Amino acid sequence: MTVVLQASHLMKQYPGVKALDDVDFSLNSGEVRALLGKNGAGKSTLVKILSGAVTPDQGSIAVDGREVTIKSPQDSFAQGISTVYQEMSLVPGLTVAENILLGRWPLSKRFGVSFIARKEIVQQAAEALSQLEVDIDLNQLASRLNVAQQQLVEIAKAISFDPRVMILDEPSSALPSEEVDTLHRVVRRLAEQGRAIIYVTHRLQEIPKVADSVTVLRDGRTIGTIPVQEATPERITQMMIGSDWKRTEWQRDAELGPVRLSVRNLNSKGLLRDVSLELRGGEVLGLAGLLGSGRTELLRAIFGLDPIDSGEILVDGTPQLKPNPISMKATGIGLTPEDRKKQGLVLVFPVEDNLTLASLHRVSSMGVLNPGKEKVLAETMVDNLAIKTARLDVKTRTLSGGNQQKVVIGNWLNTLPQVLMMDEPTRGIDIQAKEQIFALVRDLARQGLAVLFVSSEIEEVLDVADRILVMNQGRITHSRQHDEVDLEQLMALVMEEYTE
Amino acid sequence: MTSAVQSSSPTLRDRTSDLLARSGLLIALLLLFLALALFAPNFLTSRNLLNVLRAVAFNGIIACGMTFMIIAGDIDVSVGSAVAWASALLGVLAIQHGWPLGLAVIFVLVQGALIHAGAGYIRVRWAVPAFVVTLALFMALRGAARLITNAFPITPFPDSFNFWGGGYIFGIIPVPVVIMLAVFVLFHFISVRTVYGRSVYAVGGNEESARLSGISVWRTRITTFALLGFLSAFSGIILSSRIMSGSSNIAVGLEFDVIAAVIIGGTSLAGGEGTIFGTFLGVLFIGLLSNGMVLMGINPFAQEVIRGLIILVAVLISVARTRK
Repeated sequence: MTVVLQASHLMKQYPGVKALDDVDFSLNSGEVRALLGKNGAGKSTLVKILSGAVTPDQGSIAVDGREVTIKSPQDSFAQGISTVYQEMSLVPGLTVAENILLGRWPLSKRFGVSFIARKEIVQQAAEALSQLEVDIDLNQLASRLNVAQQQLVEIAKAISFDPRVMILDEPSSALPSEEVDTLHRVVRRLAEQGRAIIYVTHRLQEIPKVADSVTVLRDGRTIGTIPVQEATPERITQMMIGSDWKRTEWQRDAELGPVRLSVRNLNSKGLLRDVSLELRGGEVLGLAGLLGSGRTELLRAIFGLDPIDSGEILVDGTPQLKPNPISMKATGIGLTPEDRKKQGLVLVFPVEDNLTLASLHRVSSMGVLNPGKEKVLAETMVDNLAIKTARLDVKTRTLSGGNQQKVVIGNWLNTLPQVLMMDEPTRGIDIQAKEQIFALVRDLARQGLAVLFVSSEIEEVLDVADRILVMNQGRITHSRQHDEVDLEQLMALVMEEYTE
Repeated sequence: MTSAVQSSSPTLRDRTSDLLARSGLLIALLLLFLALALFAPNFLTSRNLLNVLRAVAFNGIIACGMTFMIIAGDIDVSVGSAVAWASALLGVLAIQHGWPLGLAVIFVLVQGALIHAGAGYIRVRWAVPAFVVTLALFMALRGAARLITNAFPITPFPDSFNFWGGGYIFGIIPVPVVIMLAVFVLFHFISVRTVYGRSVYAVGGNEESARLSGISVWRTRITTFALLGFLSAFSGIILSSRIMSGSSNIAVGLEFDVIAAVIIGGTSLAGGEGTIFGTFLGVLFIGLLSNGMVLMGINPFAQEVIRGLIILVAVLISVARTRK
């Protein structure tokens, strides 16, 4: 075994955050290294540096003992490093073979004109695919492939560069559990060929099946690298969490109101399986789960954005037969969506118009707007939520992320909701704004609002929620009161393997 | 990501750039006016200027609906054909079939709104680009107009009908001009003071955010189509009154003058931004330019080239502004 990749003293600073702080990382040929860490621990920054998407502020990278400079994805390829990202990048209208060799199609010259050499494409692609020992029709269009097949084609594409080092960024997160075995087999085979593999994952249970060793990052630092034999789920979660986090305690009301929202046996295309929950006035219910566990899908289904196959949604005891945003708004349900820019705001609108977007019915009569009422509603929210804006007619686009998020929340509070579903309300905003939003959520709950709170940050869910539901592959797998569980236990529940 | 410092102080810059964007067109309009006053013979007479206003009235009425359409992020290339169809249908119903004129007018208006509402339904139901749906209408309506008239003008309307397109108020102000101004005032009000108007901006600015805020994207879009269909039929009726016949051959290429006016008026092709007042200026700009070029005796083919270039410049300005 020889060291193929050696990164030393990597530093990367973003405004306000040290993404990587003096990270060392080394990898042997034939080794599969699982890379773990919470959101923001520095995994993706490390991956981006090695794949050339981001350049480090300091530090060096050596391949085969030779120091190299990686400033672009091309540099990374040239050094024999190939990355398979989470997002699929296949061109749907091209065949599997054409996708594998995308941009590097062999040409044949005839009559002075270059033609694409179809036979060679298939030949070379078959070679790459045969190393994986999987059966996929090379002449099929990429649009016909399922997610697992797409993933394998992406890997074949990476293999066609004959890399020494392969980086797989959460390759199992999008796959149904029955397909993960194939993925593991392929990864082991690639390692047997002598390639070094970085395997980013959140699923603790797959580590013994696929990895030789485990590296855990936290807050931009390497916490440690241990052989897979020592990598028990308890040990890994402990390394991921550390001991410096303290839960914030809130004053909670013992008395909850009546059940506002109940969901019974909700099913939706395998994304949601038999989901049931009840949410009471004054309660903050947190949804914890990994990416793809069905948190966002559940909120969207309740709000009528995605169709449901079976199950019931009741608001104040009344079944909602065909839920849609308009009818759900009318029953007092609100949703602050995951992506504030794409789903929550009209960025070209002035702040005032975004604050009344969902409550135009409250500021108008017979379809005619009342500018005075609009202004009052907007001003009240700017004051209550401490939205930092010079004036009400400033374009929302110019606000900071935290203030934009507050505008989204304010827009829904102006509808006077009974239940507010909040999807990742703290994503990408600064600490101060985060804390203001937590305080606001607790405050609203005290006033009787029912809140369904989703965050990828498990600490946040634990902090803010009265009760926590854990989701895993579309199911609710656990339910805990906030004082029944600590961070380590919750993390373990979230990351546990779930099989039918 | 904008920092907090920037977000608290865009006041002055925002205001000046807004003012510039708005007054840029006004300045261009004044310069054009000045140039024509100096160089185009007989330009600066009240008779000519009122003629310009009357000439733009037919486009101006439609441009109000087109502004909403483009703010909503759609476009409609069928309005010229819709004008011709309305005119032909009015002639056939009122003259050949002897319908009472008032009834024929109401029927033409209603069917105009309904046909466009149907196009709007197809647009939202199957997510077909509005351009494609209205391109089909562009061909079908012109063809239908020629089909029912054999491409011959249908005459005669009763003399009193001429008042709407050819008459004057106080003996000097052309009636179509008054109608156009009324439509502009009404649509300005709709755009700034109604739930529907706000919804048009929201749907064009970010359809997903609008939908998730519980705004009915379907109703907003279909209403926008219907309004534009109604205005096209309305304009077709007044134009019939002006030429005193039902004709399938009028308003050829009108859609492009209308779209050009809206774009010159500062409405963003990306949707979500634009004003009725800007469109009013855009309509005047195109009208003055056409009139001036005729007065200066510029070759009609060269006129088309110049108009094309000006639209191109307007689009580039619009794109540059959105990018910023």
